[in-house]
Amino acid sequence: MLLELKNIFKWVNSGGNRFYMLKDVNLKVEKGAFISVMGPSGSGKSTLLNVLGMIDTFDEGEYYFNGEPIHQLKGKMRSHLFKENIGFVFQAYHLIDELTVYENIETPLLYKKFKSSERKALVSDMLDRFNIVGKKDLFPAQLSGGQQQLVGVARALIGNPKLLLADEPTGNLNSKQGEEIMEIFKQLNQEGVTIVQVTHSEKNADYGTQIIELLDGRIINRK
Amino acid sequence: MAMIRNYLKIAWRNLRRNKVYSLINILGLSLGLSCAMLILLYVKDEVSFDMFHENVNNIYRVTQEKTINGKLHKNGNSGYLQGPRFKQNVAGIESFVRIQGGAEDIKKDGAIYSQKVLRVDSTFFSIFSFPLLEGNPKTCLKNPNSIIVSEDFAEKQFGRLNVYGETVMIRQDSIFTPFKVTAIAKNSPQNSSIQFDVLLPFKVSVEDANNDLNWYSYFLNTFVVLNPYSDKTDIEEQMQAFYEKDASGAFKSMIERYGGGQDATMGSYLLQPYSTLHLDTERPAQNGLSNAGNPMYSYILSGIALFVLIIACINFINLTIARSIKRAKEIGIRKVVGGDRKQLIIQFLGESFLLCFMAFAMAIIVVLLVLPVFNELSNKALSFSYLLDFRLILAYLGLFLFTALSAGFYPALVLSKYNPVEILYSRFNIGGKNYLQRFLVVLQFSLASFLIIATFTIYRQFNYLTNADLGYDDSNIISISKGYISKDKAKLFKNELLTDVNIVSVAPNNVGHLWTMAKLANEEEINFSYAVIDESYFPELKIPIVKGRNFSPDHPMDASKNIMVNQAFVEKANWENPIGQTVNFFYNQNEIYQVIGVIKDYHFLSLNQKIEPQLFTMISNISFDNFDIKIKPNSATQSLKHIEESFKKIFPLSPYSYVFKDDVNKEAYQAEAKWRKILLFGALLTIFISCIGLFGLTVLSSEKRTKEIGIRKVLGASVSDVMNILSLDFLKLVAIALAIAIPIAWMASNTWLENYPYRIDIGWKMFVITATLVVIIALITVAFQAIKTALANPINSLRNE
Repeated sequence: MLLELKNIFKWVNSGGNRFYMLKDVNLKVEKGAFISVMGPSGSGKSTLLNVLGMIDTFDEGEYYFNGEPIHQLKGKMRSHLFKENIGFVFQAYHLIDELTVYENIETPLLYKKFKSSERKALVSDMLDRFNIVGKKDLFPAQLSGGQQQLVGVARALIGNPKLLLADEPTGNLNSKQGEEIMEIFKQLNQEGVTIVQVTHSEKNADYGTQIIELLDGRIINRK
Repeated sequence: MAMIRNYLKIAWRNLRRNKVYSLINILGLSLGLSCAMLILLYVKDEVSFDMFHENVNNIYRVTQEKTINGKLHKNGNSGYLQGPRFKQNVAGIESFVRIQGGAEDIKKDGAIYSQKVLRVDSTFFSIFSFPLLEGNPKTCLKNPNSIIVSEDFAEKQFGRLNVYGETVMIRQDSIFTPFKVTAIAKNSPQNSSIQFDVLLPFKVSVEDANNDLNWYSYFLNTFVVLNPYSDKTDIEEQMQAFYEKDASGAFKSMIERYGGGQDATMGSYLLQPYSTLHLDTERPAQNGLSNAGNPMYSYILSGIALFVLIIACINFINLTIARSIKRAKEIGIRKVVGGDRKQLIIQFLGESFLLCFMAFAMAIIVVLLVLPVFNELSNKALSFSYLLDFRLILAYLGLFLFTALSAGFYPALVLSKYNPVEILYSRFNIGGKNYLQRFLVVLQFSLASFLIIATFTIYRQFNYLTNADLGYDDSNIISISKGYISKDKAKLFKNELLTDVNIVSVAPNNVGHLWTMAKLANEEEINFSYAVIDESYFPELKIPIVKGRNFSPDHPMDASKNIMVNQAFVEKANWENPIGQTVNFFYNQNEIYQVIGVIKDYHFLSLNQKIEPQLFTMISNISFDNFDIKIKPNSATQSLKHIEESFKKIFPLSPYSYVFKDDVNKEAYQAEAKWRKILLFGALLTIFISCIGLFGLTVLSSEKRTKEIGIRKVLGASVSDVMNILSLDFLKLVAIALAIAIPIAWMASNTWLENYPYRIDIGWKMFVITATLVVIIALITVAFQAIKTALANPINSLRNE
């Protein structure tokens, strides 16, 4: 098992009332799983994803990643675990505008202190793999949405993460581009990468092996 | 290393992408920094003034204080006796040197010119540390016919430096006597109160050295060196005790001769540390001292420059923060892809250091470029190498670190703290109401408005002073100064001059330099300016005679018993019918003079001074010192040639020089001209830097309100509606600034103008113009960004939410 959430609660207090963003969420993610999280806007999908990705906190409950109790870890250890194991893909791509395609993909390696030669090899592999070698010196603004998202995926994968988290990765793309991305996800999953994606689309959800439905911060359905 | 390259790349690309912003940001800071560098230079120069003398802490000037009619008079001058007598009779005074300024006529290749010289005691070089290129500092002044020259003088007189042993011909009475060069001194350091090109040995006759009355003639500066272990107060007490004993007889005879009232005191002798000489405003630098500094200049310049620096640093910080909001997304992404906070802090601080470094580099270039202008403004000869001083470099480094750290602080420490989720999902909002920034804008614009009004005031007053009707016609008048011209010589010269058709008239005179007092018929004493003229003076200067008549050679009494006065004199004397009134020169054997005419008041002094009572005579026992020569218009070249020839003929041994009277009148307002320049400079700089700050704030605000503006536009707001929203806020701040600045500027202008007996009315127009100007400038600054935001497509700002 890659990770487990036990009785996770997350809330905000507003004017004496407590609003639950996550309410008693229990979730096990096996290695090699491909989970799609669905639910209406505001149901807590993105929050759940961010909690899984350790970029957001929770107020109550236990989170084990690879057996490590995340809820007890200090910031430094947590960010180390995060750096080594998790890749993020966003709906709005979130590339750094001032860096080229090549440099965007390279950035996580810099933070992980890879040697120059290693970085070169890894980035080249990634460019090859996603067929964007010709675009490596372009800036994000010079790419189409689909191409930008490819770069986003490449950047998420460059560190060889065990878990890929994607927040509506196709939300800003047309259907053909979306399909391409989903095919890539499927392939990655077959190669052994664990994936959790948030999506609105039934079609995209079907690429996964499991579907979780959220409503008002609760898991109401598992398929 | 790779990471740093990545940071540098980002920093560089950001700079290039936002060229205007980067340029303004760096330029603004570098201007502020240049200002700071210039003040540092200036202040260092002022502080280090005279400090190069090894013995400076033991050198004191002998000064005197006296209370006359309840008013404290401070006097920095002394005479023959103070130096030698104090040294001999006061324990703790090790040596003394007297310094007396003057001018000597020197011959060069047959030509004669007037050269400023200092006459000094032979201890000069053992007390002061002026380095000699050649010559023995101990003995070079011993021989009464020795001369010590500066490098400049050697070049001027001989065209070379190795002039040791050469002779210089100096006029002694009417004979040119050889003086032997016994030392060549390096040019006096620019930051020295004593400046000399020529030193001559100090001369005192035996009678003068033994005449106790000389306690009471003050015409030179005496410096003493104290024993380092002695107590200054103790020595002052000894000096006072000795003086009261030694000079008591002389004091009595002075009182008998000149009166002085019941409250005449002997006054007290004090010691003034040499290092405080330069910034002393109570005792003018005279009789051999020069380069008196006015601490006011330091304060005002420092004030302007320091303010500019602070505002520039804060602008830099504000602008960097404004930009960093755009960078928030990058920060979020970097955190998500694995950057930790430490790395982000390094990146953003590094970027701010880079920007700051560029600003510093540019500041150095700016300083090099403006140094000549600044030297002119500050009346200094500063050079950049002056800055290469350990402490200054340290101060600079401190400034650099402070600015870079505070500018990088917000993005590095505040933004990096945010949870990436909040940034990437646009959930966070920067800053509250920005009271600090608003306060700063008000402050900046208050100062800018204040300086603009001050500049206006000084400009208008300056124009008034230089264009005002002086009450006489100063056009086409050439003035020639020459001391002690007897009546006969004057007549000779005048006749010689008038042989040329271009010379309209010649008026020998001695106006504005002598002041004295006399008694009126009712025994009342009156103070006035005492002027010696001849009959051509009033007609030549077109000064109207309002009562009585002008002097005339046809009335023999005019040259002995008759006088003329100005209206101010009549008013002061309270005469209803001035003609025939008498004035008694009581201390001059009770000579009685009779008024024969009254002239209309004219500005015989500069407009900075009130017209005082004036009395004119043609009495022949007082010599002239000036000729006012009226020439035909456009005949200057021929006239000057004739004047010079005539002068050489009548006064063959005297140096000749001339000035145009209207030029002299304009030069009287140099101080005003300098202030005008300084203020203009300051006003331009502050308004520019204020605009940079305002611009930064507009950028910040329009970025914060992008979404709001997008929504408003979707709901139907026009471009001008959006402009109003964005501009109004800032115009309010500028209005507040004006409301603060105008009354203060009004008061300050009034206070300043009170120094001038003849001045402009401030009026309201100046304030309206200033307010309009400031509002327009602010509006243009704000509009630049507001238009950009207002024109932006709302779709772009509302998407990605």
